[in-house]
Amino acid sequence: MRRIERLINLIAALLDSRRPMTAAEIRERIAGYQNDNFEAFRRSFERDKAELREMGIPIEVVKDADDVDAYTIPPGKYYMPDLDLQPDELAALKLAADAVLGAGDQASSGLRKLSVESEADGMATPRVVWSADVAAEQPLLGPLLAALLDREPVRFEYETGDGRRSSRRVEPYSLVHRRGHWYLVGRDADRAAIRSFKVSRVVSDPEKEEGSYEIPADFDLDRHTGVEPWEVGEGEQVVARIHFDPSLAWWPQQNMTGLRLSQMDDGGVEVDMPVSNLDALVSWAIGFSDGIEIVSPPEARDRLVRHLAPFTGGGA
Amino acid sequence: MSAGPGRLGRRLSRILLLLPYAIQHPGTTVAELSRRFGVPKTELINDLNLVFLCGLPGYGPGDLIDVDFQDDRIFIHMADYFSAPLRLTPAEGLALYAGGEAIAALPDMEQAESLKRALQKLGRALGAGRDGDDSAAIKVRFEESPPAHMVVLQQALAARKQVEIEYLSSTRSETTTRNIEPWGLIAALGRWYVVGLDHLSGEERMFRVDRIKSSTVTDESAAPPDDFDAERYKGAFVGREGQPVVAMDISPDAARWFEDYYPVASSAAVADGWRRVELQSSGDRWAATLVLRLGSQVRNVVPDSVTKTAHSMAANLAERHEGTAGRK
Repeated sequence: MRRIERLINLIAALLDSRRPMTAAEIRERIAGYQNDNFEAFRRSFERDKAELREMGIPIEVVKDADDVDAYTIPPGKYYMPDLDLQPDELAALKLAADAVLGAGDQASSGLRKLSVESEADGMATPRVVWSADVAAEQPLLGPLLAALLDREPVRFEYETGDGRRSSRRVEPYSLVHRRGHWYLVGRDADRAAIRSFKVSRVVSDPEKEEGSYEIPADFDLDRHTGVEPWEVGEGEQVVARIHFDPSLAWWPQQNMTGLRLSQMDDGGVEVDMPVSNLDALVSWAIGFSDGIEIVSPPEARDRLVRHLAPFTGGGA
Repeated sequence: MSAGPGRLGRRLSRILLLLPYAIQHPGTTVAELSRRFGVPKTELINDLNLVFLCGLPGYGPGDLIDVDFQDDRIFIHMADYFSAPLRLTPAEGLALYAGGEAIAALPDMEQAESLKRALQKLGRALGAGRDGDDSAAIKVRFEESPPAHMVVLQQALAARKQVEIEYLSSTRSETTTRNIEPWGLIAALGRWYVVGLDHLSGEERMFRVDRIKSSTVTDESAAPPDDFDAERYKGAFVGREGQPVVAMDISPDAARWFEDYYPVASSAAVADGWRRVELQSSGDRWAATLVLRLGSQVRNVVPDSVTKTAHSMAANLAERHEGTAGRK
């Protein structure tokens, strides 16, 4: 018997059986395991469990009446819940799935699961005009999201910006995509504080830890992940004033609508920006190359001049 | 680290999906299944023949899955336990949810209301087995793109028309006016770009929507290539043949984030944790801006013209910021 047949039999039996099955019962009753001696069976069974769990099939271990490990697939966790998706909602999700770059396979297999009930051919492909690179192919997102949804703390090796590695125990609260990268926001249990971790700097597979947690009702994601890079930093927040020359006045008027803009006599525009990371502000300002000036605070002007010193012959 | 499911896993996933579909749609055909699941008919028939051999302990006629072919119609019995699909994996849910969040923010999106409702339901599916809504677990944040231009670009795309834009490029400090043939809108690195043929340079280009000053749909038609593939623009950069190369050493500190944001073509260790990187350059001003951003974290920049441009740009910027603010 081929392994895939044995796997289908295993899923069918564990899903259909009213009570969990011990390893001995599985070996005796499920087609595909009989020919092995117990050691060989144990190895095949371990491999099969790992394969099914990798696919997202929830195989759980419970103790039976004799305190022996017994296996089950709880139907409530296996089956897709009935979402009552309306045809227009499915069509909208199709647009979303088609737009995903990089993880398009994941998105469309998800969509197929959601469209099983639907008569409509979920896979017709009209021309797509939008595409979104949401970097969802990052392999650690799945395990981190699983931990978040199950409210299970995880431990992983994390490398900070300065290259130091440390082991972190984190209670995941949210996954945030910003500027092309994913961040895990959660409670760092060892530091007893909410921290933001860049997922690409998690350098080990996250391991689930014992215990559980609740996300505090007053958790405010916005406080922990600014939208702009100059808003993200450990520094104290200051207000920086930026002058845009007349030729560039349209840019803040068009793109910084949430901030206070002042029309200047020369036709330029000045913007007040909340900043807690001066280096990020300097980097952003350089992106305009000229046509803008940091008016205040003086430390930010100073920071820019010192940053440029290697190119201006100034003392670095 | 995790490598994702292999061939066996993918085939099994497909079987666990086509069974519920066939059970819920009795009399479906091989052709329909093949189209719907994107698999050749021969493979589908192999899948169905395989399922036929599986079932519940006992494995007698009443226990095995019954696959009944009537002409080309398919009826599956004795497999009630496979009549609903497996729930979404976290990776599937995340990809779909993040894609949905990304496009839900588009201005003037016809399906926005439907999508919002769908994402709420999807959030519930992610948290299956738990109470409550987990849609807050995932957030996709894009920089706001000027809605007026996004609307114009979408109209032009739908009507296959060229757009005239005034654009502030990273290689100049003033705007230029050009006609572009839009091929698609791409969100990458957290912001929206329009990709298409630029009539000013005669080349394929990506334009940041926030740097468009004005946009107007024209009467001239646009012809997106038949083989347009948005995947090519992942990471917001498309290399062009014959593009100049810029090389530089970057410090250990900068090396850690640099490759996340810039299109590095090659990278090799040099002394003391520094790395020598090569990138396709979009021009000296573009490369000089990058070099200035790196500040003291960069050295040995080649070619010289980039260094020269960096020096003159730095002089202008520094002059303007030395001492107290004195606006020009």
